[in-house]
Amino acid sequence: MTVQSEKDRRGADGAPPPPAVEMRGIVKRFPGVLANDRVDFEAAAGEVHALLGENGAGKSTLSNILTGLYRPDAGEIFIDGEPVQFHSPRDALDARIFMVHQHFRLVETFTVAENVVLGDHRGEGRTFRLRHRAIEQRVAELSKRYGLAVDPRARVWQLSLGEQQRVEILKALYREARILILDEPTAVLTPQEADVLFETLREMAVEGRTVVFISHKLHEVKAVADRVTVLRGGRSVATVSAADATLRSLASLMVGRELDSVQPARARTAGELVLELTDVWSDGDRGDSAVRGASLVVHGGEIVAVAGVAGNGQRELAETVAGMRRATRGEILVCGKAIRAGDPRSAIAAGVAYVPEDRLGTGVAPSLSIASNLALKGYRERSSSHGPLLRIGRIRERAVELIQRYSIAAPGPGAPARLLSGGNLQKVVLAREFSGKPRLLIAASPTRGLDVGAIETVHAYLREAAADGVGVLLISEDLDEILLLADRVAVMYEGAIVGETSREEADVEEIGLLMAGGQDPRAD
Amino acid sequence: MNNSLLVVVLASGVAYGTPLLYGALGELLAERSGVLNLGVEGMMLVGAVMGFWTVQRLHADTALSLAAAVGVAAIAGMAMAAIHAFLVITLRASQIVSGLALTIFAGAAGLSSYLGNDLNLADNPARHAFSAAVFPASMQRLPVVGPIIFGQNVLVYASWVCVVGVSLYLSRTRLGLNVRAVGEAPASADAMGINVTAYRYAHTLAGGAFAGVAGATFTLAITPQWVSGITGGAGWIAIALVIFAFWRPALCLVGAYFFGALQALSPQLQARGINLGPTELWANSLPYVMTVVVLVFVSASGARRRLGAPASLGLPYVREER
Amino acid sequence: MRIERRLRQPRWLIVAVPAGSLVFAFFAAGLVLYATGHNALSSYRQIIDAAFLNSGALGQTLTQATPLAFTGLAAAAAFRMRLFNIGAEGQLFMGAITADAAGLYLGGHGWPTALVIFAMVIAGCAGGAAWALIPGALRAFFKTNEIITSLMLNYVAAYVLTYLVFNTESYWRQTKGFNASVFPTSKTLPNDALWPSAMIHVRGGIALPLGAGIAVLVAFLLWFLFTRTRFGFEAQVLGDSPRAAQYAGMRTRRKILAVMGISGAVAGLGGASQVGDFAHMLDADPNGLQKQYYGYTGIVVAALARYNPLAVVVVAFLIGALQNAGNTLQGADFPSGLVGVMQGIILFSALGGELLVRYRVRVGRTMPATEAA
Repeated sequence: MTVQSEKDRRGADGAPPPPAVEMRGIVKRFPGVLANDRVDFEAAAGEVHALLGENGAGKSTLSNILTGLYRPDAGEIFIDGEPVQFHSPRDALDARIFMVHQHFRLVETFTVAENVVLGDHRGEGRTFRLRHRAIEQRVAELSKRYGLAVDPRARVWQLSLGEQQRVEILKALYREARILILDEPTAVLTPQEADVLFETLREMAVEGRTVVFISHKLHEVKAVADRVTVLRGGRSVATVSAADATLRSLASLMVGRELDSVQPARARTAGELVLELTDVWSDGDRGDSAVRGASLVVHGGEIVAVAGVAGNGQRELAETVAGMRRATRGEILVCGKAIRAGDPRSAIAAGVAYVPEDRLGTGVAPSLSIASNLALKGYRERSSSHGPLLRIGRIRERAVELIQRYSIAAPGPGAPARLLSGGNLQKVVLAREFSGKPRLLIAASPTRGLDVGAIETVHAYLREAAADGVGVLLISEDLDEILLLADRVAVMYEGAIVGETSREEADVEEIGLLMAGGQDPRAD
Repeated sequence: MNNSLLVVVLASGVAYGTPLLYGALGELLAERSGVLNLGVEGMMLVGAVMGFWTVQRLHADTALSLAAAVGVAAIAGMAMAAIHAFLVITLRASQIVSGLALTIFAGAAGLSSYLGNDLNLADNPARHAFSAAVFPASMQRLPVVGPIIFGQNVLVYASWVCVVGVSLYLSRTRLGLNVRAVGEAPASADAMGINVTAYRYAHTLAGGAFAGVAGATFTLAITPQWVSGITGGAGWIAIALVIFAFWRPALCLVGAYFFGALQALSPQLQARGINLGPTELWANSLPYVMTVVVLVFVSASGARRRLGAPASLGLPYVREER
Repeated sequence: MRIERRLRQPRWLIVAVPAGSLVFAFFAAGLVLYATGHNALSSYRQIIDAAFLNSGALGQTLTQATPLAFTGLAAAAAFRMRLFNIGAEGQLFMGAITADAAGLYLGGHGWPTALVIFAMVIAGCAGGAAWALIPGALRAFFKTNEIITSLMLNYVAAYVLTYLVFNTESYWRQTKGFNASVFPTSKTLPNDALWPSAMIHVRGGIALPLGAGIAVLVAFLLWFLFTRTRFGFEAQVLGDSPRAAQYAGMRTRRKILAVMGISGAVAGLGGASQVGDFAHMLDADPNGLQKQYYGYTGIVVAALARYNPLAVVVVAFLIGALQNAGNTLQGADFPSGLVGVMQGIILFSALGGELLVRYRVRVGRTMPATEAA
């Protein structure tokens, strides 16, 4: 074990050692967004340091810079006081920095041992002939030492996500990583597994390693971290000791809104029941359940927003209501009628419109023309087809109408959809969904990646839909947006609706707490 | 005993199955790295013609000529594979269309015939050919195992060595682990510092080399002569064989001899005046039907993970432009 | 050097690239000719003569082009939807078998020619479609990859074809007459079942086989189907983005079966044409129809035509001309195998050129990956 303890790293004159990792003034820009705005971050050897913030706060970008995936536009990185430059992930790996991503970098058909040793060119894996027995033994040793129970000979696809995560950590330990970064590690763990993980991380820190724990969950951060750095809007807002902070103080740092945000005076009378979800469950992509007993109602003419940090089942909930995902349990009623599980057509027929999160991948057919995309759902209608034949002229006319009405900036109705900017693409999706005269509109992260002007436009359309009597289910990670638009706010956490309030009674701090898994103080 | 139908068919099966085995081993390597190469037939034919040409041209003793011929055949196959590799790995062209183009380019109506006719290779028997002279005649006369195992030529024995070699390579070496990672999860392999492009090129070219040797087996061993289109579809069977063998070298051997025996069955039956009627149709179609059955089984049963194709087969790899 | 996806595909590039690759191919093939001691220009002139200018050349070109048009259309119909139907070869054989049976039976029973031909067309379509539905169903229900399954069935179809005439006293086999006992042949179609050709009085008369006319008609029908109907729209969406198709409530399985069926039917129709227009019998000779590889060449045709049915007809004509020249000129003078070499180079160039259409190549310093927000 070559990780040095604090004592060894002190300089000859006994001065305090430089931090294990220090990032100064990091700036990273992407088209249209400033992801990191002069961020400072440092973590010492032997500590568990949490990086806390909402989505879009810049945490992932910062860690990707540290692991060599991105290069910063400005700023410096120091490892043990020495300036370093990472040109590729391999440089970071060589510097003993290892990151456990949210989406694991494993080969599913390989055994645990094979995954651990893949790409290793210093340890057991460096020989031409692999000595499987020796590798498995080493993995078993590490596994036992750190309490990461996993069978070195098991195939990864057989393992649960929690066990797969242990494999990733074993990879780090095998490479004697000094700095270990974990990105939202508890997203795939049960509470018990999370506790075990925390123990492991504590132990690694005691050995002198640096553990950086990226999360948005307050109580976990408080449970495992020594210090917490809070990022908000691309800036580092504060670095506090976890022991001294309270859940509330962390929540307000993370969400940090002034309470005098805009309160639009709006008297909307809710109409009839448009959507009724009762104890809905559905599975995520990896086979585990993503939606766990969600219950919610939406009336015509009101905007119900579901707040929550990404990854708590919102996307899956939207897809389930839209029919793209089968509900495994529970009931979904649209205007009183049950829709067939997993059948988008029945949802569409029932009057459900869906603006998906993934515009380009799901919401449009990218190589097809704008006109075709505008007719994507309505092409079977009398207005667009004559029996089996398409009325191409009419489709084109409609497209021109819609392009004008929604001010979509496009080379023409025949241009392929993939050419459009994000904002215009979203307008196409909205135009199409509205033109279907829906009863319920599901909008999932509708303003993600859009510029200010486009955001305002989308907001206007959502309000207009509500004014027309459509029930709007808005799913968003942006609390600002929710507070601006919603009549009622529900909070989703770990697959269930954990709290609900009307706009007037909404308290930002409480909502933040709920989003992060804290307790709703009004619950008895 | 050794002239019985069974023994003769099995012995011929081994002989006919050898080019299938070489072709399958090569394609297996390419596919393990994620590259589908449908041009095996074309590569085999070019290997066949160039190997033959070498043996006709070289004025040296038998062993040296044959060795050189096999070497040239391998290089010729590699050259063909290089075209496909460049198109699909670097230029990210469709692997299916490119492979088919290679078959047309190099195949019986293409380059191999062009070279064969231009170099006047037809109508002459090979100057040197592989013969069943490896083991003494006494061993070859042993009942059953004599003709089947000891009565084969060097290329057959070499193919056994290759099966063992490829098998060990994939399962026991670091490079083999890496190439399997490249085929299964190129993104993960890339993240762990493995050069996906290099591995794909290397293994596609290796596939070409094997295919070239497979072709040489025809012109230097089986019918030591060159005729346009001499492989008669063996390349396509080799592709099917890889799937039939679940991408495992040892099963390729079993499958190759099975297919080979089926191929040997027909002429033997005719020579003995036995007419099996419709059974013959089944016998001929059996390998292909079985391959389909195997494929359906793998995809339907969800055993894909354990038994199926490398996950990235047929897809170009692009490091994410995130 | 960086390769990045183009956002916009300039119109001129879409035409320039295939045209350019054709020019490049001729140039490259010329180099190969030159390097092996042939006169490229004279070889090319010979090709043009044999393909178009000699007397009877156009007729022979049409003989080659007609089946290629059918198999090209079959491939284009399927490949457009990312269904890689490699089985046109076998589907053509099956279509030939069923069409021949229809022709023999109905023609032998004195039905009027028009009806017999109609029946042969239907039978050919049915045979090809049924054969294509096997890999289609496997794909639709079990998600089995259709490339290998359709390929394997080509072999089975070839064996069935040979078997019917060579190994058994089947309906298709000629059993009467002296020769019949010596060498197996198939029955000849009765006169009522022969497909007519239209005489075009140009250059001493060109016979335009009925099949060629049908192929053009089918091309238009397919074009119409894919661009003007709901069916075609759905197929387009499904081929472009299966997820968007699901989102829009389209039924995937049915579409897969339908498109594979259509693809097989067109290939089978090509088989019917082989029987009715050209061979006038079932060509089960292992060195005959089975060595023509119409099915595989059809895929090349479709790829070069970028899967547009109307373009397929044109490309089939050109490739057919090339094939014809290759067959005609075979001999000491003309390098055999040149046709395959040229076709291969044309296809390679087209594939490589495709890159330029889809991606932009930038030479410069490597920049790190950046995220598009």
